[in-house]
Amino acid sequence: MSRKKTPKSKGGSAPATSALPATHGSQPVRPGTARPGPEAPPNRPPQPGRSSLGGGGDFYDVAFKVMLVGDSGVGKTCLLVRFKDGAFLAGTFISTVGIDFRNKVLDVDGMKVKLQIWDTAGQERFRSVTHAYYRDAHALLLLYDVTNKASFDSIQAWLTEIQEYAQHDVVLMLLGNKVDSAQERVVKREDGEKLAKVSCGWVGSQNAPGAAGPELSPPGCQRLFAGVRAAIHGDQRQDGPQCGLGFHGHSKVSPGSYREDPQTQRLNPLVGGTGHPIPWSSLPHRELKQRCMKAPSEPRFQLHDYIKREGRGASCCKP
Amino acid sequence: MESAGRAQAARDRVPRIDPYGFERPEDFDYAAYEEFFSTYLAILTRRAIKWSRLLKGGAGVQKSMTLKRYIRKGVPLEHRARVWMGVSGAQAQMDQNPGYYLHLLQGEKDDSLEEAIRTDMNRTFPDNVRFRKGSDPCLQRTLYNVLLAYGHHNRGVGYCQGMNFLAGYLILVTRSEEESFWLLDALVGRILPDYYSPSMLGLKTDQEVLGELVRTKLPAVAALMDSHGLLWTLVVSRWFICLFVDVLPVETVLRIWDCLFNEGSKIIFRVALTLIKQHQALILEATSIPDICEKFKEITRGSFVTECHTFMQKIFSEPGSLSRASIARLRERCRARLLAQG
Repeated sequence: MSRKKTPKSKGGSAPATSALPATHGSQPVRPGTARPGPEAPPNRPPQPGRSSLGGGGDFYDVAFKVMLVGDSGVGKTCLLVRFKDGAFLAGTFISTVGIDFRNKVLDVDGMKVKLQIWDTAGQERFRSVTHAYYRDAHALLLLYDVTNKASFDSIQAWLTEIQEYAQHDVVLMLLGNKVDSAQERVVKREDGEKLAKVSCGWVGSQNAPGAAGPELSPPGCQRLFAGVRAAIHGDQRQDGPQCGLGFHGHSKVSPGSYREDPQTQRLNPLVGGTGHPIPWSSLPHRELKQRCMKAPSEPRFQLHDYIKREGRGASCCKP
Repeated sequence: MESAGRAQAARDRVPRIDPYGFERPEDFDYAAYEEFFSTYLAILTRRAIKWSRLLKGGAGVQKSMTLKRYIRKGVPLEHRARVWMGVSGAQAQMDQNPGYYLHLLQGEKDDSLEEAIRTDMNRTFPDNVRFRKGSDPCLQRTLYNVLLAYGHHNRGVGYCQGMNFLAGYLILVTRSEEESFWLLDALVGRILPDYYSPSMLGLKTDQEVLGELVRTKLPAVAALMDSHGLLWTLVVSRWFICLFVDVLPVETVLRIWDCLFNEGSKIIFRVALTLIKQHQALILEATSIPDICEKFKEITRGSFVTECHTFMQKIFSEPGSLSRASIARLRERCRARLLAQG
């Protein structure tokens, strides 16, 4: 049989480091060999480790757990595969039943960031099966389909679910998918923006600890937001007219922050999965790395400023 | 070089599309399959002769010990629809309710049900040439009708994702819309206890039951799951919801379903336990949650599951005793626990 031997771990060459700000409340993704010491707090930050996971020999410094949620058929799996393998394969997916997962290791300025991405079934009745996993997620990507009003109307219900089951400081992004289908578009960009603003209001200011104004995201969120944000935006740019799945993203941690990513083009080398270092110098990945090395007391990543700064320029949604 | 040549030769001989219309995956091991099939063909031929003798005269399929033994050894494709219909009670239901299926399709339609089903039309077996949009004949319409009729027939369930895969297989085997409907009713309404209703309580219960069975029979695996706080639903929900469709090879799934229709949902536990037991050492190598999930995918691939005849023998020997009474007790206990948790 085609059973593949998993290479043994190379040993924990990078033990859990105290350089990480211990602010993120969710369960860490624990690499095999980096065991938390007895002093580890109950809510540990994502831990770095050098571990071989899944037999692919993918070593990483830091790992995050990301979940894709949203109504059935909005394109969660398509988004994931586009991101994971760089392939746009609309029309070749089967409905996701239950919950599925994929790993993706990104090279961010020489640092390996592993995203453990959980894909979920969108049908309402599966929520009771999947929401048990919300609590461990560092980020939730909430998708709707801009050509399907009902999927947009469901966002509120998803938010309620998320508020109930996810960590209070989870990074949440609202993504309007399939914007390339301009003819069939029924959810306006403004509506998405408005919804992001409104939901940011309640999620952000009420729940994030130490929140004061727009820059309320704790460092864990910032790191993750930067990583997830870039990863996702990098993913979705489509090359040809036949493969146009574009979207826009919003984040609850940045009230009113709506943007379409101008950096997509530059991110494309990553999408190809070639393993080359990524020229992300002007992107927040540098900050992502920096944040990981900084002590928690250092100044916060000014997300709102960042959004403003990055928000100028061309859009990934408009070719 | 020689093995490469053999692989190429096998690739040339074995059709790219299997007898059910599925395109073989890119990484399909043609050489291994050809080797397996040359042995299996002899078994199929022998079984076909025996079954023809058993079913000659055209009488109804009567449950018996002989039939049970025959079914465990595999029902030939040409008799499969008839045997499934007979042993599951679907035939009796169909006979007692003439015109009912058509009546369901002619009645008033529930918009949200239609929408939910439509969303999955292009997402049910895109790798099967008969289900592809634009194929002629295209089975999407048949699938849509079966699911829509079922949703109206069983309003407590309506449509649950996963049922599309069940109905799809039923259509491929029976080639009859109405028979597929009644077989789906047998599965969803009688054989599987409350898997697909909005609460999915039966599904959650059975996943817990599997966890308990593993705890008793394969404690090291249970300990691994516990040490990572991993819930069984994460690794086995597709096994239960899709009854191994798109998890195991088509032929293996059909052999499992032969027994499922005749012996009931207990078979699912037998299959699951066999997979886990056979690959226990591999699973125990896992050191993290994603690692465990990966292993649980890995154990559903390879020659162990492709060689369906041997696999089916193993499911009745490997897991050991699995009495109906003990399953019922476990179900009761797990269900109560789930209800208490809310």
